[in-house]
Amino acid sequence: MKNLTRAGIIAIAATLLITGCSSTTGAAGTAVTNKGGTLTILTPSTKIDLDPAKSQNLAITTLGLIERRLTTWDIRAGRPATVVPDLATTTGTPSDGGKTWTFTLKDGLKFADGSAITSADIKYGVERSFSDELSGGLSYHKSLLVGGADYHGPYSGSALASIETPSPKSIVFHLTGAYGDWPWIASMPAFSPVPQAKDNPATYGQDPVASGPYKVASNKQGTALTLTRNTYWSAKSDTVRVAGPDSVVFRMSQDPSTAAQSLISDAGDTKAAFGAAFLGAAQLAQVNRDPAAKARLATSQAGPLSYLALNTQRGALKNLDVRKALEYAVDKKAYLIASGGAAAGETATTLITPGIAGRQAYDLYPAGADGDVKKAKSLLAKAGQSSGLSLTLLVLNDATSLAKAQAIQQGVQRAGITVTIAPEDENSFYSDATATDANYDLALYSWQPDFPSANSNIQPLFASSEIGDGRNNVARYSNPEVDALIAMATAEVDQKAAQALWAKADKRIMQDAPVVPLSYAKQSFLRGSKVKNFFVASFPAYPNYLTLSLAK
Amino acid sequence: MRTAGFVAYRIAGMLVVLLAIAAITYAIFYLLPTNPAQLSCGKPCTPENLARVERFMGYDLPWYQQFWDFLRGIVAGRTYGSGAGAVTCATPCFGYSFQLNTTVTDLIVSRFPVTASIAVGAAAVWLVVGVGSGVASALTRGSAIDRGIMTIAIAGVSAPSYLVGLLAILFFSFTLHLLPSGGYVAFGDDPLQWLGHLALPWFTLAFISGAVYARLTRGQMLEVMGEDYIRTARAKGLTERRVVVRHGLRNALIPVVTIFGLDLGGLLGGAVITEKVFSMQGLGALLIDAVHTLDLQVVVGFTLFAAFLIVLANFAVDLVYGLVDPRVKARV
Repeated sequence: MKNLTRAGIIAIAATLLITGCSSTTGAAGTAVTNKGGTLTILTPSTKIDLDPAKSQNLAITTLGLIERRLTTWDIRAGRPATVVPDLATTTGTPSDGGKTWTFTLKDGLKFADGSAITSADIKYGVERSFSDELSGGLSYHKSLLVGGADYHGPYSGSALASIETPSPKSIVFHLTGAYGDWPWIASMPAFSPVPQAKDNPATYGQDPVASGPYKVASNKQGTALTLTRNTYWSAKSDTVRVAGPDSVVFRMSQDPSTAAQSLISDAGDTKAAFGAAFLGAAQLAQVNRDPAAKARLATSQAGPLSYLALNTQRGALKNLDVRKALEYAVDKKAYLIASGGAAAGETATTLITPGIAGRQAYDLYPAGADGDVKKAKSLLAKAGQSSGLSLTLLVLNDATSLAKAQAIQQGVQRAGITVTIAPEDENSFYSDATATDANYDLALYSWQPDFPSANSNIQPLFASSEIGDGRNNVARYSNPEVDALIAMATAEVDQKAAQALWAKADKRIMQDAPVVPLSYAKQSFLRGSKVKNFFVASFPAYPNYLTLSLAK
Repeated sequence: MRTAGFVAYRIAGMLVVLLAIAAITYAIFYLLPTNPAQLSCGKPCTPENLARVERFMGYDLPWYQQFWDFLRGIVAGRTYGSGAGAVTCATPCFGYSFQLNTTVTDLIVSRFPVTASIAVGAAAVWLVVGVGSGVASALTRGSAIDRGIMTIAIAGVSAPSYLVGLLAILFFSFTLHLLPSGGYVAFGDDPLQWLGHLALPWFTLAFISGAVYARLTRGQMLEVMGEDYIRTARAKGLTERRVVVRHGLRNALIPVVTIFGLDLGGLLGGAVITEKVFSMQGLGALLIDAVHTLDLQVVVGFTLFAAFLIVLANFAVDLVYGLVDPRVKARV
């Protein structure tokens, strides 16, 4: 990945020498940025809703081009993600032990209509995300802000008292408890400014009032979204967006196979395009056979965690030795091959994933590449389960997931554990895996955190409060000691101290073996030959749209 | 008077069929072990957030009440939520998609031109090519032309549309760079681009369906051309062209008209695979997306619309019979 970025920089530098065209150093400092051209993004999405209240967009993709937030993510290849100020001057100042957070806006910020961005616009943007008609977005803040549980948005005329705007440039958030990761929460789409006078909840997502480098020129749902420059955006106030292309076109409803084929052929306007969807195993194999296309492939460093959840509240799996036996019995090498091989991921041993600050590498159950069957058998014997242990495995009903499940099944069979695979379609799978009443022993699960903090790796998957009711503690793991550690790490406002606590929680959880970490997934994306500074970091495993430019 | 009674009887029957289809679709979705509100719940989806969404969308009500509200919305419109943020769905309200933020009626109206462009164009091509080659094949029975046409027809009947579509894209778009690989441009925006984007879908559908029409027309023509009245027509000294067109083809077309009506009606309700392969956002693509995302209101509204088209096509076929075959007209 580093080599690809470096190659891009050299290519641009060479072009500049030949053409003598103007350029600037990228605001993000990641590459020299050409200005001009139309960047095309091929996406299978049939709709692009730009309403920040309804969005689950990553900070570095679509909405990040149009809507700035209080804070945002600085994503670079080969480095852990960091939170940085966006509209605010800092990533927030905590007080009251982390229960109150204050932000001050930068000078001279303007919307695309020329009006000033004020703290009232941020407050209104957050408030409208509580409206029943604007559900569907990232909602971590809703349970953290005082009074959030009973608040239903500003459309009925009420305001949320826990957000104060003492001046047009400052905003204060009062939380129900200390929360050290509030700077990350303030980077979510709902923390974008929305001018109340321009808000119509039914249509705002079609053409929001831009605060970022681009504004909507046209938005034809199902066909194309075209963005053009917002002349009121100032590069001086923005450290993460380089705004290279003059315009950006999202071509919607693109069949992934056809889009990949277009990019491989690299003809016409696809030279200045990239695919928003990661390549499947078949497309990846096709690209790998074509050296010219392969040179334009960006593969993420190992990132999101795939794991085998062991239902800790069910039958034999209540016994720690049985769970430890599964840690040793699973054949992770076979699992990785079933996932698509080395291009699809790396073997995992920790819960906090690579690319997340503070991660400590360790392996509590060293079993070699394909498991330690002997050790697994001895642990089963110790638990009185030498023979006849039979478990059900909940899995998504698609070819890749079934192949992965069979790899698990065959791996543990070597230790005498019989696994029955229970495939379910996507909606049923997630409903059953997160239901209050669990009807499975094992579940093949994966997790892509919503923000790049260890908190997002650990708390949603292992806190006792996250069991059932649609929540993601699929292992149904409950340990008061770990809950206390999570609470302590969550409240810690010092990032270094918090990271140390999360790393401690990571190991402590794995001592109880509620899950078998299987792989850190990799994702590959293809670009046209004119797209520069195209990279995919560990987290998020998607290209950074904010730093792209086009070769002349 | 007899015709008016026939029409009234058929319309009443159509309404009963449509009501039954809506009820069955609603019941099927209600019986699914999943919750559509969960997809609009946000992340993390806490029980409080889920309850809010269910209440707002009306999914907290029993299925029969949801169905009743749906039917009432068709004649009286609906409002979801209250205050400045309330969502209004005007009469006739066939539901509201909370995932696409628009009424089902508007969705169908906006997507229909895409599907209609595909369906009508493709139908015209396959009808002309299919019937024409079927007649040519019948009139040259046993010749190289006949064998050639029937070989192509067998290939067309056997080939799945996604395969033909992808091969067409590979050849005409990626190899020859003659036509775009997908997407849709409205006729009003650029007629030439509209034609260019539709050429491959038309070819794909026409290749598959035209093959059926060619085989059917050939079979019918061979049968009809052997009838006594054809011999009589020839004996009366009519030109061969008049014999073939007026006496042969007109009779051979009766079953073709039946199938054509149903095919066109079905296709207007969405060319699902073709739309997906050519990245076109027509009604078929809308339905597939709605099923995947459990967008119940879109599925029910769309199913009603598609069923309406089929029922209407049946009705139209019955009326056209009268034009093609005077014997039918006498019985209506």
